[in-house]
Amino acid sequence: MSLLEISDLHVSYDGIKAVKGIDLRLENGEIVALVGSNGAGKSTTLKAICGITPVQSGKILFEGRNLRSIPPHQLVRQGIALVPEGRGLFGRSSVEENLKMGAYSRSDSEIAKDLERIYSLFPRLLERRTQASGTLSGGEQQMVSLGRALMSRPRLLFLDEPSMGLAPIMVGKIFEIIQTIAAGGMTVLLVEQNARMALSMSRRGYVMESGKITLSDASSSLLENPLVKAAYLGQ
Amino acid sequence: MDIFLQQLINGIVLGSIYSLVALGYTLVYGIMGLINFAHGDIVMVGAMVTLTVARLLSDSGLPGPLVLGIGMLTAIPACMAVGYLIERIAYRPLRNAPRLAPLITAIGVSILLQNLAMMIWGREYLSFPQILPTRTMAVGGASISAIQLLIVASSTIMMAGLSSLIRKTRLGNAMRATAQNPEVATLMGVNVNTIISITFVLGSALAAVAGMMVSAYYGIAHYDMGFILGLKAFTAAVLGGIGNIEGAMLGGLLLGIIESMGAGYLGTLTGGVMGSNYQDVFAFFVLILVLIFRPSGLLGERVGERP
Repeated sequence: MSLLEISDLHVSYDGIKAVKGIDLRLENGEIVALVGSNGAGKSTTLKAICGITPVQSGKILFEGRNLRSIPPHQLVRQGIALVPEGRGLFGRSSVEENLKMGAYSRSDSEIAKDLERIYSLFPRLLERRTQASGTLSGGEQQMVSLGRALMSRPRLLFLDEPSMGLAPIMVGKIFEIIQTIAAGGMTVLLVEQNARMALSMSRRGYVMESGKITLSDASSSLLENPLVKAAYLGQ
Repeated sequence: MDIFLQQLINGIVLGSIYSLVALGYTLVYGIMGLINFAHGDIVMVGAMVTLTVARLLSDSGLPGPLVLGIGMLTAIPACMAVGYLIERIAYRPLRNAPRLAPLITAIGVSILLQNLAMMIWGREYLSFPQILPTRTMAVGGASISAIQLLIVASSTIMMAGLSSLIRKTRLGNAMRATAQNPEVATLMGVNVNTIISITFVLGSALAAVAGMMVSAYYGIAHYDMGFILGLKAFTAAVLGGIGNIEGAMLGGLLLGIIESMGAGYLGTLTGGVMGSNYQDVFAFFVLILVLIFRPSGLLGERVGERP
Protein backbone atom coordinates (compact mmCIF):
# COMPACT_ATOMS: atom_id res chain seq x y z
CA MET A 1 0.00 0.00 0.00
CA SER A 2 1.25 3.46 -0.87
CA LEU A 3 1.58 6.03 1.89
CA LEU A 4 -0.40 8.57 -0.10
CA GLU A 5 -2.49 7.84 -3.11
CA ILE A 6 -4.37 10.49 -5.04
CA SER A 7 -6.60 9.69 -7.96
CA ASP A 8 -8.55 11.92 -10.31
CA LEU A 9 -8.34 14.96 -8.03
CA HIS A 10 -10.26 18.04 -9.16
CA VAL A 11 -10.00 21.36 -7.31
CA SER A 12 -11.40 24.79 -8.07
CA TYR A 13 -9.85 27.86 -6.56
CA ASP A 14 -11.52 31.28 -6.76
CA GLY A 15 -13.82 29.96 -9.45
CA ILE A 16 -10.95 28.72 -11.61
CA LYS A 17 -10.32 25.04 -12.25
CA ALA A 18 -6.84 24.85 -10.79
CA VAL A 19 -6.41 21.08 -10.61
CA LYS A 20 -7.97 19.00 -13.36
CA GLY A 21 -7.91 15.35 -12.49
CA ILE A 22 -4.43 14.44 -11.30
CA ASP A 23 -3.07 11.12 -10.05
CA LEU A 24 -0.18 11.10 -7.62
CA ARG A 25 1.38 8.44 -5.43
CA LEU A 26 3.96 8.52 -2.63
CA GLU A 27 5.70 5.42 -1.29
CA ASN A 28 7.03 5.21 2.23
CA GLY A 29 10.39 6.93 2.73
CA GLU A 30 10.88 8.49 -0.70
CA ILE A 31 11.46 12.08 -1.74
CA VAL A 32 9.22 13.03 -4.62
CA ALA A 33 9.36 16.31 -6.50
CA LEU A 34 6.37 18.09 -7.96
CA VAL A 35 7.65 20.72 -10.35
CA GLY A 36 6.00 23.19 -12.67
CA SER A 37 5.74 26.86 -13.35
CA ASN A 38 3.91 29.47 -11.31
CA GLY A 39 0.14 28.89 -11.44
CA ALA A 40 0.36 25.27 -12.56
CA GLY A 41 -1.75 24.18 -9.58
CA LYS A 42 0.97 22.74 -7.35
CA SER A 43 0.16 24.71 -4.21
CA THR A 44 -3.55 24.20 -4.72
CA THR A 45 -2.92 20.46 -4.86
CA LEU A 46 -1.13 20.58 -1.50
CA LYS A 47 -3.80 22.75 0.09
CA ALA A 48 -6.49 20.41 -1.18
CA ILE A 49 -4.73 17.37 0.27
CA CYS A 50 -4.49 19.19 3.60
CA GLY A 51 -8.17 20.09 3.51
CA ILE A 52 -7.63 23.86 3.46
CA THR A 53 -9.01 24.26 -0.05
CA PRO A 54 -12.20 22.31 -0.75
CA VAL A 55 -11.91 19.38 -3.14
CA GLN A 56 -14.46 19.02 -5.94
CA SER A 57 -13.96 15.36 -6.63
CA GLY A 58 -11.38 12.64 -6.46
CA LYS A 59 -9.81 10.29 -3.97
CA ILE A 60 -7.14 11.09 -1.39
CA LEU A 61 -6.00 8.04 0.56
CA PHE A 62 -3.39 8.20 3.34
CA GLU A 63 -2.37 4.69 4.38
CA GLY A 64 -5.61 3.56 2.82
CA ARG A 65 -7.77 5.95 4.85
CA ASN A 66 -9.90 8.57 3.14
CA LEU A 67 -8.34 11.93 4.04
CA ARG A 68 -11.30 13.88 2.72
CA SER A 69 -13.45 12.75 5.61
CA ILE A 70 -10.95 13.95 8.21
CA PRO A 71 -11.30 17.58 9.42
CA PRO A 72 -8.19 19.61 8.50
CA HIS A 73 -7.16 20.27 12.10
CA GLN A 74 -6.86 16.52 12.71
CA LEU A 75 -4.51 15.95 9.80
CA VAL A 76 -1.42 16.62 11.86
CA ARG A 77 -2.41 13.82 14.24
CA GLN A 78 -2.41 11.47 11.27
CA GLY A 79 1.24 12.33 10.73
CA ILE A 80 1.04 14.92 7.98
CA ALA A 81 2.76 18.31 8.10
CA LEU A 82 2.97 21.15 5.61
CA VAL A 83 5.59 23.84 5.28
CA PRO A 84 3.40 26.37 3.52
CA GLU A 85 4.31 28.63 0.65
CA GLY A 86 5.61 31.93 2.01
CA ARG A 87 6.46 30.09 5.25
CA GLY A 88 3.23 31.01 7.09
CA LEU A 89 4.89 31.98 10.35
CA PHE A 90 3.14 33.48 13.34
CA GLY A 91 5.17 36.64 12.80
CA ARG A 92 4.48 38.37 16.11
CA SER A 93 5.27 35.25 18.11
CA SER A 94 8.82 34.33 19.01
CA VAL A 95 10.84 31.66 17.24
CA GLU A 96 10.36 29.27 20.13
CA GLU A 97 6.61 29.90 20.33
CA ASN A 98 6.37 29.08 16.64
CA LEU A 99 8.31 25.87 17.11
CA LYS A 100 6.17 24.89 20.08
CA MET A 101 3.02 25.46 18.06
CA GLY A 102 4.29 22.71 15.79
CA ALA A 103 3.88 20.31 18.70
CA TYR A 104 0.42 21.66 19.58
CA SER A 105 -1.30 18.37 18.84
CA ARG A 106 1.18 16.34 20.86
CA SER A 107 0.85 15.56 24.53
CA ASP A 108 3.86 13.29 25.05
CA SER A 109 6.85 14.10 27.21
CA GLU A 110 9.44 14.35 24.45
CA ILE A 111 8.52 17.78 23.11
CA ALA A 112 11.40 19.47 24.93
CA LYS A 113 13.81 16.88 23.54
CA ASP A 114 12.56 17.49 20.00
CA LEU A 115 12.93 21.23 20.50
CA GLU A 116 16.58 20.68 21.34
CA ARG A 117 16.95 18.52 18.27
CA ILE A 118 15.56 21.33 16.09
CA TYR A 119 17.99 23.78 17.69
CA SER A 120 20.90 21.48 16.98
CA LEU A 121 19.70 21.18 13.38
CA PHE A 122 19.37 24.98 13.15
CA PRO A 123 21.81 26.54 15.66
CA ARG A 124 20.88 29.93 14.23
CA LEU A 125 17.39 29.57 15.68
CA LEU A 126 18.74 28.95 19.17
CA GLU A 127 20.45 32.34 19.03
CA ARG A 128 17.17 33.94 18.04
CA ARG A 129 14.72 31.91 20.05
CA THR A 130 13.08 34.85 21.84
CA GLN A 131 12.99 37.11 18.80
CA ALA A 132 9.70 37.77 16.97
CA SER A 133 9.83 35.42 13.99
CA GLY A 134 8.58 38.11 11.61
CA THR A 135 11.80 40.05 12.10
CA LEU A 136 14.08 37.25 10.89
CA SER A 137 15.67 37.00 7.47
CA GLY A 138 13.94 34.94 4.80
CA GLY A 139 16.26 31.97 5.25
CA GLU A 140 15.89 31.99 9.02
CA GLN A 141 12.12 32.16 8.62
CA GLN A 142 12.25 29.13 6.37
CA MET A 143 14.20 27.31 9.09
CA VAL A 144 11.51 28.19 11.62
CA SER A 145 8.78 26.96 9.30
CA LEU A 146 10.64 23.73 8.61
CA GLY A 147 11.48 23.23 12.28
CA ARG A 148 7.88 23.88 13.26
CA ALA A 149 6.64 21.24 10.85
CA LEU A 150 9.19 18.74 12.21
CA MET A 151 8.00 19.39 15.77
CA SER A 152 4.83 17.45 14.97
CA ARG A 153 6.95 14.37 14.16
CA PRO A 154 5.37 13.89 10.74
CA ARG A 155 5.68 10.77 8.65
CA LEU A 156 4.71 12.72 5.55
CA LEU A 157 6.09 16.20 4.98
CA PHE A 158 4.87 18.59 2.30
CA LEU A 159 7.24 21.38 1.35
CA ASP A 160 5.73 24.19 -0.68
CA GLU A 161 8.40 26.25 -2.48
CA PRO A 162 11.00 26.14 0.30
CA SER A 163 13.55 27.94 -1.91
CA MET A 164 11.30 30.83 -2.84
CA GLY A 165 12.86 34.24 -2.24
CA LEU A 166 16.03 32.87 -0.68
CA ALA A 167 19.62 33.71 -1.52
CA PRO A 168 21.34 30.87 -3.44
CA ILE A 169 23.58 29.99 -0.50
CA MET A 170 20.51 29.69 1.74
CA VAL A 171 18.75 27.52 -0.85
CA GLY A 172 21.68 25.12 -0.71
CA LYS A 173 21.53 25.02 3.09
CA ILE A 174 17.78 24.41 3.22
CA PHE A 175 17.99 21.59 0.68
CA GLU A 176 20.86 20.04 2.58
CA ILE A 177 18.71 19.92 5.68
CA ILE A 178 15.77 18.49 3.78
CA GLN A 179 18.04 15.68 2.64
CA THR A 180 19.17 15.06 6.19
CA ILE A 181 15.55 14.82 7.29
CA ALA A 182 14.60 12.49 4.47
CA ALA A 183 17.58 10.25 5.21
CA GLY A 184 15.87 9.54 8.52
CA GLY A 185 13.05 7.81 6.65
CA MET A 186 10.50 10.59 6.39
CA THR A 187 8.46 10.75 3.20
CA VAL A 188 8.75 14.13 1.49
CA LEU A 189 6.76 15.73 -1.29
CA LEU A 190 8.74 18.69 -2.54
CA VAL A 191 6.85 21.27 -4.54
CA GLU A 192 9.21 23.60 -6.39
CA GLN A 193 9.60 26.02 -9.26
CA ASN A 194 13.31 25.43 -8.89
CA ALA A 195 13.10 22.21 -10.91
CA ARG A 196 16.82 21.50 -11.13
CA MET A 197 17.26 21.58 -7.37
CA ALA A 198 14.12 19.59 -6.66
CA LEU A 199 14.80 16.89 -9.27
CA SER A 200 18.44 16.49 -8.34
CA MET A 201 17.58 15.53 -4.78
CA SER A 202 14.44 13.46 -5.33
CA ARG A 203 13.91 9.89 -6.48
CA ARG A 204 10.87 10.48 -8.64
CA GLY A 205 9.27 13.56 -10.06
CA TYR A 206 5.99 14.81 -11.44
CA VAL A 207 5.69 17.72 -13.84
CA MET A 208 2.52 19.75 -13.55
CA GLU A 209 1.20 22.13 -16.21
CA SER A 210 -2.04 24.11 -16.06
CA GLY A 211 -3.73 21.78 -13.63
CA LYS A 212 -2.60 18.47 -15.12
CA ILE A 213 0.30 16.15 -14.58
CA THR A 214 2.03 15.96 -17.93
CA LEU A 215 5.09 13.88 -17.04
CA SER A 216 5.95 11.41 -14.33
CA ASP A 217 9.24 9.57 -14.20
CA ALA A 218 12.39 8.90 -12.23
CA SER A 219 13.97 12.27 -11.43
CA SER A 220 17.21 11.34 -13.17
CA SER A 221 15.29 10.67 -16.38
CA LEU A 222 13.31 13.90 -16.06
CA LEU A 223 16.55 15.84 -15.74
CA GLU A 224 17.58 14.37 -19.11
CA ASN A 225 14.18 14.80 -20.73
CA PRO A 226 14.42 17.37 -23.55
CA LEU A 227 10.97 18.76 -22.81
CA VAL A 228 11.84 19.32 -19.17
CA LYS A 229 15.20 20.74 -20.12
CA ALA A 230 13.63 23.25 -22.48
CA ALA A 231 10.75 24.30 -20.24
CA TYR A 232 12.17 24.17 -16.71
CA LEU A 233 15.93 23.87 -16.76
CA GLY A 234 16.60 26.68 -19.19
CA GLN A 235 18.64 24.57 -21.60
CA MET B 1 -11.56 68.17 48.71
CA ASP B 2 -8.81 67.59 46.21
CA ILE B 3 -10.58 67.69 42.85
CA PHE B 4 -7.65 66.41 40.84
CA LEU B 5 -7.13 63.34 43.01
CA GLN B 6 -10.85 62.66 43.20
CA GLN B 7 -11.26 62.84 39.43
CA LEU B 8 -8.21 60.64 38.98
CA ILE B 9 -9.75 58.01 41.26
CA ASN B 10 -13.10 58.25 39.49
CA GLY B 11 -11.30 58.00 36.16
CA ILE B 12 -9.42 54.87 37.18
CA VAL B 13 -12.67 53.25 38.31
CA LEU B 14 -14.44 54.16 35.07
CA GLY B 15 -11.37 53.14 33.11
CA SER B 16 -11.29 49.70 34.72
CA ILE B 17 -14.79 49.09 33.43
CA TYR B 18 -13.91 50.37 29.95
CA SER B 19 -10.86 48.12 29.90
CA LEU B 20 -12.90 45.00 30.63
CA VAL B 21 -15.35 45.83 27.85
CA ALA B 22 -12.60 46.92 25.45
CA LEU B 23 -10.94 43.52 25.92
CA GLY B 24 -14.04 41.87 24.48
CA TYR B 25 -13.81 43.99 21.34
CA THR B 26 -10.11 43.47 20.95
CA LEU B 27 -10.18 39.70 21.53
CA VAL B 28 -12.80 39.16 18.85
CA TYR B 29 -11.17 41.62 16.46
CA GLY B 30 -7.79 40.00 17.00
CA ILE B 31 -9.09 36.54 16.19
CA MET B 32 -11.38 37.24 13.28
CA GLY B 33 -11.10 40.88 12.25
CA LEU B 34 -14.68 41.61 13.24
CA ILE B 35 -15.91 44.58 15.26
CA ASN B 36 -18.62 42.94 17.33
CA PHE B 37 -20.90 45.93 17.80
CA ALA B 38 -23.26 43.79 19.87
CA HIS B 39 -20.63 43.49 22.58
CA GLY B 40 -21.90 46.54 24.48
CA ASP B 41 -25.33 44.94 24.62
CA ILE B 42 -23.86 41.84 26.21
CA VAL B 43 -22.66 44.17 28.97
CA MET B 44 -26.25 45.36 29.24
CA VAL B 45 -27.47 41.76 29.60
CA GLY B 46 -24.91 41.28 32.38
CA ALA B 47 -26.16 44.43 34.11
CA MET B 48 -29.80 43.40 33.77
CA VAL B 49 -29.25 39.88 35.07
CA THR B 50 -27.20 41.10 38.04
CA LEU B 51 -29.82 43.72 38.83
CA THR B 52 -32.64 41.18 38.63
CA VAL B 53 -30.87 38.81 40.99
CA ALA B 54 -30.00 41.65 43.37
CA ARG B 55 -33.62 42.76 43.46
CA LEU B 56 -34.86 39.24 44.13
CA LEU B 57 -32.40 38.73 46.96
CA SER B 58 -32.32 42.26 48.43
CA ASP B 59 -34.79 41.37 51.16
CA SER B 60 -33.40 37.92 51.82
CA GLY B 61 -31.13 39.14 54.58
CA LEU B 62 -28.02 37.90 52.83
CA PRO B 63 -25.04 40.25 53.05
CA GLY B 64 -24.76 42.72 50.16
CA PRO B 65 -21.43 41.56 48.72
CA LEU B 66 -22.73 37.98 48.68
CA VAL B 67 -25.85 39.06 46.79
CA LEU B 68 -23.67 40.88 44.31
CA GLY B 69 -21.50 37.78 43.98
CA ILE B 70 -24.51 35.59 43.28
CA GLY B 71 -25.71 38.14 40.75
CA MET B 72 -22.37 38.07 39.00
CA LEU B 73 -22.19 34.27 39.00
CA THR B 74 -25.62 34.25 37.34
CA ALA B 75 -24.72 36.96 34.86
CA ILE B 76 -21.46 35.32 33.71
CA PRO B 77 -22.98 32.07 32.37
CA ALA B 78 -25.95 33.99 30.96
CA CYS B 79 -23.68 36.32 29.00
CA MET B 80 -21.41 33.46 27.94
CA ALA B 81 -24.42 31.70 26.49
CA VAL B 82 -25.54 34.86 24.68
CA GLY B 83 -22.04 35.38 23.27
CA TYR B 84 -21.76 31.77 22.15
CA LEU B 85 -25.15 31.84 20.44
CA ILE B 86 -24.46 35.15 18.68
CA GLU B 87 -21.28 33.79 17.13
CA ARG B 88 -22.85 30.49 16.24
CA ILE B 89 -26.05 31.83 14.72
CA ALA B 90 -25.14 35.26 13.36
CA TYR B 91 -21.42 35.35 12.57
CA ARG B 92 -20.30 31.82 11.72
CA PRO B 93 -22.42 31.52 8.57
CA LEU B 94 -20.73 34.73 7.37
CA ARG B 95 -17.16 33.59 8.06
CA ASN B 96 -16.15 33.82 4.42
CA ALA B 97 -18.45 36.66 3.43
CA PRO B 98 -17.15 40.15 2.53
CA ARG B 99 -16.22 42.16 5.62
CA LEU B 100 -19.20 44.48 5.46
CA ALA B 101 -21.73 41.66 5.90
CA PRO B 102 -20.72 40.60 9.45
CA LEU B 103 -20.35 44.27 10.43
CA ILE B 104 -23.94 45.04 9.44
CA THR B 105 -25.02 41.81 11.10
CA ALA B 106 -23.31 42.95 14.30
CA ILE B 107 -25.37 46.11 14.30
CA GLY B 108 -28.47 43.99 13.68
CA VAL B 109 -27.63 41.72 16.60
CA SER B 110 -27.16 44.79 18.77
CA ILE B 111 -30.64 46.06 17.89
CA LEU B 112 -32.08 42.60 18.44
CA LEU B 113 -30.55 42.29 21.92
CA GLN B 114 -31.78 45.75 22.90
CA ASN B 115 -35.32 44.94 21.81
CA LEU B 116 -35.31 41.57 23.54
CA ALA B 117 -34.13 43.29 26.71
CA MET B 118 -36.86 45.89 26.35
CA MET B 119 -39.45 43.10 26.10
CA ILE B 120 -38.07 41.32 29.16
CA TRP B 121 -37.17 44.25 31.43
CA GLY B 122 -39.32 47.05 30.05
CA ARG B 123 -38.36 50.51 28.85
CA GLU B 124 -38.06 52.13 32.29
CA TYR B 125 -34.80 52.87 34.05
CA LEU B 126 -34.38 50.17 36.68
CA SER B 127 -32.72 51.09 39.93
CA PHE B 128 -30.20 48.85 41.59
CA PRO B 129 -31.07 48.04 45.23
CA GLN B 130 -28.83 49.61 47.81
CA ILE B 131 -27.07 46.47 49.02
CA LEU B 132 -23.49 47.62 49.34
CA PRO B 133 -22.22 49.70 52.26
CA THR B 134 -22.04 53.37 51.31
CA ARG B 135 -19.06 53.98 53.57
CA THR B 136 -16.16 55.77 51.96
CA MET B 137 -12.49 55.86 52.73
CA ALA B 138 -10.58 59.14 52.76
CA VAL B 139 -7.37 59.21 50.76
CA GLY B 140 -5.39 62.44 50.81
CA GLY B 141 -8.34 64.78 50.38
CA ALA B 142 -10.36 62.48 48.15
CA SER B 143 -12.68 59.59 48.91
CA ILE B 144 -13.02 56.03 47.66
CA SER B 145 -16.17 53.99 48.13
CA ALA B 146 -16.39 50.25 48.69
CA ILE B 147 -17.81 49.60 45.24
CA GLN B 148 -15.01 51.62 43.64
CA LEU B 149 -12.41 49.53 45.40
CA LEU B 150 -14.24 46.38 44.39
CA ILE B 151 -14.34 47.45 40.74
CA VAL B 152 -10.66 48.29 40.48
CA ALA B 153 -9.57 45.18 42.40
CA SER B 154 -11.71 42.70 40.50
CA SER B 155 -10.97 44.12 37.06
CA THR B 156 -7.25 44.06 37.84
CA ILE B 157 -7.50 40.41 38.86
CA MET B 158 -9.50 39.51 35.76
CA MET B 159 -7.11 41.28 33.43
CA ALA B 160 -4.09 39.67 35.03
CA GLY B 161 -5.81 36.31 34.69
CA LEU B 162 -6.63 36.91 31.04
CA SER B 163 -3.10 38.09 30.33
CA SER B 164 -1.50 34.96 31.70
CA LEU B 165 -4.13 32.77 30.03
CA ILE B 166 -3.14 34.24 26.69
CA ARG B 167 0.60 34.35 27.29
CA LYS B 168 1.17 31.09 29.06
CA THR B 169 -1.45 28.45 28.38
CA ARG B 170 -1.95 26.06 25.51
CA LEU B 171 -5.32 27.68 24.82
CA GLY B 172 -3.66 31.09 24.74
CA ASN B 173 -1.06 29.85 22.26
CA ALA B 174 -3.81 28.51 20.05
CA MET B 175 -5.66 31.82 20.28
CA ARG B 176 -2.61 33.84 19.32
CA ALA B 177 -1.78 31.47 16.47
CA THR B 178 -5.34 31.67 15.17
CA ALA B 179 -5.26 35.46 15.36
CA GLN B 180 -2.11 35.58 13.25
CA ASN B 181 -2.81 32.91 10.68
CA PRO B 182 -5.92 30.74 11.02
CA GLU B 183 -5.00 28.54 8.05
CA VAL B 184 -1.62 27.59 9.43
CA ALA B 185 -3.03 27.26 12.95
CA THR B 186 -5.40 24.65 11.53
CA LEU B 187 -2.45 22.76 10.09
CA MET B 188 -0.89 22.74 13.56
CA GLY B 189 -3.98 20.97 14.86
CA VAL B 190 -5.94 23.94 16.18
CA ASN B 191 -9.70 23.69 15.73
CA VAL B 192 -10.31 27.29 14.69
CA ASN B 193 -14.08 27.09 15.17
CA THR B 194 -13.62 26.07 18.78
CA ILE B 195 -11.09 28.84 19.37
CA ILE B 196 -13.47 31.44 17.94
CA SER B 197 -16.30 30.16 20.15
CA ILE B 198 -14.07 30.28 23.21
CA THR B 199 -13.00 33.83 22.34
CA PHE B 200 -16.60 35.00 22.21
CA VAL B 201 -17.41 33.22 25.45
CA LEU B 202 -14.37 34.71 27.22
CA GLY B 203 -15.17 38.23 26.02
CA SER B 204 -18.76 37.79 27.13
CA ALA B 205 -17.70 36.69 30.60
CA LEU B 206 -15.67 39.89 30.95
CA ALA B 207 -18.68 41.83 29.67
CA ALA B 208 -20.88 40.21 32.32
CA VAL B 209 -18.56 41.37 35.07
CA ALA B 210 -18.42 44.85 33.54
CA GLY B 211 -22.23 44.86 33.46
CA MET B 212 -22.40 43.94 37.11
CA MET B 213 -19.98 46.78 37.89
CA VAL B 214 -21.82 49.41 35.88
CA SER B 215 -25.23 48.64 37.31
CA ALA B 216 -24.00 48.44 40.88
CA TYR B 217 -21.79 51.54 40.56
CA TYR B 218 -24.29 53.86 38.90
CA GLY B 219 -27.24 52.19 40.61
CA ILE B 220 -29.19 52.03 37.40
CA ALA B 221 -29.73 49.84 34.33
CA HIS B 222 -31.57 50.36 31.08
CA TYR B 223 -32.09 48.30 27.94
CA ASP B 224 -30.05 50.66 25.73
CA MET B 225 -27.24 51.34 28.22
CA GLY B 226 -24.93 49.08 26.20
CA PHE B 227 -24.90 51.34 23.19
CA ILE B 228 -22.87 54.32 24.43
CA LEU B 229 -20.85 52.14 26.78
CA GLY B 230 -19.99 49.83 23.89
CA LEU B 231 -18.94 52.73 21.67
CA LYS B 232 -16.70 54.11 24.37
CA ALA B 233 -15.09 50.76 25.05
CA PHE B 234 -14.58 50.39 21.31
CA THR B 235 -12.88 53.79 21.37
CA ALA B 236 -10.68 52.56 24.20
CA ALA B 237 -9.75 49.49 22.17
CA VAL B 238 -8.86 51.64 19.15
CA LEU B 239 -6.92 54.04 21.37
CA GLY B 240 -4.80 51.19 22.70
CA GLY B 241 -4.50 49.53 19.28
CA ILE B 242 -7.32 47.20 18.34
CA GLY B 243 -6.37 43.56 18.49
CA ASN B 244 -3.79 44.25 21.18
CA ILE B 245 -4.64 42.92 24.66
CA GLU B 246 -2.42 45.26 26.67
CA GLY B 247 -3.60 48.07 24.40
CA ALA B 248 -7.22 47.50 25.40
CA MET B 249 -6.30 47.64 29.08
CA LEU B 250 -4.24 50.80 28.67
CA GLY B 251 -6.76 52.42 26.32
CA GLY B 252 -9.63 51.78 28.73
CA LEU B 253 -7.77 53.22 31.67
CA LEU B 254 -6.63 56.29 29.72
CA LEU B 255 -10.08 56.93 28.32
CA GLY B 256 -11.63 56.69 31.77
CA ILE B 257 -9.13 59.19 33.17
CA ILE B 258 -9.47 61.57 30.20
CA GLU B 259 -13.24 61.54 30.51
CA SER B 260 -13.21 62.02 34.22
CA MET B 261 -10.66 64.84 34.11
CA GLY B 262 -12.52 66.46 31.24
CA ALA B 263 -15.78 66.35 33.13
CA GLY B 264 -14.12 67.73 36.24
CA TYR B 265 -12.37 70.67 34.64
CA LEU B 266 -14.44 71.54 31.57
CA GLY B 267 -16.68 73.90 33.55
CA THR B 268 -13.74 75.86 34.93
CA LEU B 269 -11.91 75.94 31.61
CA THR B 270 -14.84 77.24 29.60
CA GLY B 271 -15.98 79.65 32.29
CA GLY B 272 -19.14 77.66 32.93
CA VAL B 273 -20.30 77.57 29.29
CA MET B 274 -19.87 73.80 29.11
CA GLY B 275 -20.36 71.51 32.09
CA SER B 276 -19.74 67.91 33.04
CA ASN B 277 -22.72 66.86 30.91
CA TYR B 278 -20.31 67.12 27.98
CA GLN B 279 -18.41 64.14 29.40
CA ASP B 280 -19.38 61.85 26.52
CA VAL B 281 -17.87 64.23 23.98
CA PHE B 282 -14.36 63.44 25.18
CA ALA B 283 -14.43 59.79 24.24
CA PHE B 284 -15.39 60.50 20.69
CA PHE B 285 -13.02 63.44 20.43
CA VAL B 286 -10.27 61.02 21.45
CA LEU B 287 -11.49 58.51 18.85
CA ILE B 288 -11.27 61.12 16.10
CA LEU B 289 -7.81 62.24 17.18
CA VAL B 290 -6.53 58.66 17.28
CA LEU B 291 -7.96 57.87 13.88
CA ILE B 292 -6.31 60.95 12.40
CA PHE B 293 -2.90 60.84 14.07
CA ARG B 294 -2.29 57.25 15.08
CA PRO B 295 -4.77 54.87 13.46
CA SER B 296 -2.87 51.82 14.72
CA GLY B 297 -3.36 52.98 18.32
CA LEU B 298 -0.83 53.45 21.12
CA LEU B 299 0.43 49.86 21.26
CA GLY B 300 -0.81 48.77 17.88
CA GLU B 301 2.53 48.35 16.16
CA ARG B 302 2.64 45.20 14.16
CA VAL B 303 5.65 43.19 13.16
CA GLY B 304 5.11 42.38 9.53
CA GLU B 305 6.28 39.17 7.90
CA ARG B 306 8.96 39.58 5.34
CA PRO B 307 7.98 38.50 1.87
